[in-house]
Amino acid sequence: MEDQITRDVVIAAPVERVWALVTTAEHLGTWFGDDGADIDLRPGGALVLRWKEHSTVHGRVETVEPHSRFSFHWLTGGCDTPAADEPADGTSTLVEFTLVPEGDGTRLTVVESGFSTLALSPAAREERFASHTGGWAFELGELADHGARVAA
Amino acid sequence: MSTAAPPEVFAALADPTRWKVLDLLAARGEGTATTLAADLPVSRVAVVKHLGVLDRAGLVAGRRVGREVRYAVRPERLDETADWMRQLASAWDARLAALKALAEEAGGD
Repeated sequence: MEDQITRDVVIAAPVERVWALVTTAEHLGTWFGDDGADIDLRPGGALVLRWKEHSTVHGRVETVEPHSRFSFHWLTGGCDTPAADEPADGTSTLVEFTLVPEGDGTRLTVVESGFSTLALSPAAREERFASHTGGWAFELGELADHGARVAA
Repeated sequence: MSTAAPPEVFAALADPTRWKVLDLLAARGEGTATTLAADLPVSRVAVVKHLGVLDRAGLVAGRRVGREVRYAVRPERLDETADWMRQLASAWDARLAALKALAEEAGGD
């Protein structure tokens, strides 16, 4: 268990179509952002997502495996972040899409990870990754309930 | 209401010993560095450090009673963080639903 959010959906469309929707500016700017997007679809390429009522969020493409895997770093708390900021390891979370054919359709899984590295210095991150990656995500709700009971 | 990431909370929670400290405090209501250290495989000095990190992240609060400091969990910050995670998860659900609708509409014929 890691510091991540995992969600998936089964889509009645082939992986090629889902891939196009997930990786092209035309589509990212509608289902993800609502006011357009730019993407340079290669590792290290820039990603820009725009929302009408929020600021623009910048990301950086990490993985491009056509019809199978697409990932990028972005500043998930983007609304508070100056638009000029480039995401860097440790100051952003990683969003990873995985596409797997399922029957005539596609299972699309998204994993957003890296929340616990957001506040760490590079040295601290290195140290922690070397030792342990923590197991808090699963327990978070449980502990919050716990705390609430104690406080009640 | 703030929707900003609480990174200091995540960083504080990223250590397994601090999880145990929180868990012990939540179960008992209160504890000192000495009583916590008795149930953890680390020294009292290490527990003091962990309590400091948790305190700065707003996850625990200490109150001085005589010569000791008694710590208790502050559930608000954990609740906020859990809420924030739930918001992020539901944002993804909404995005994936929009993507599914788009894909199936476009791929229908």
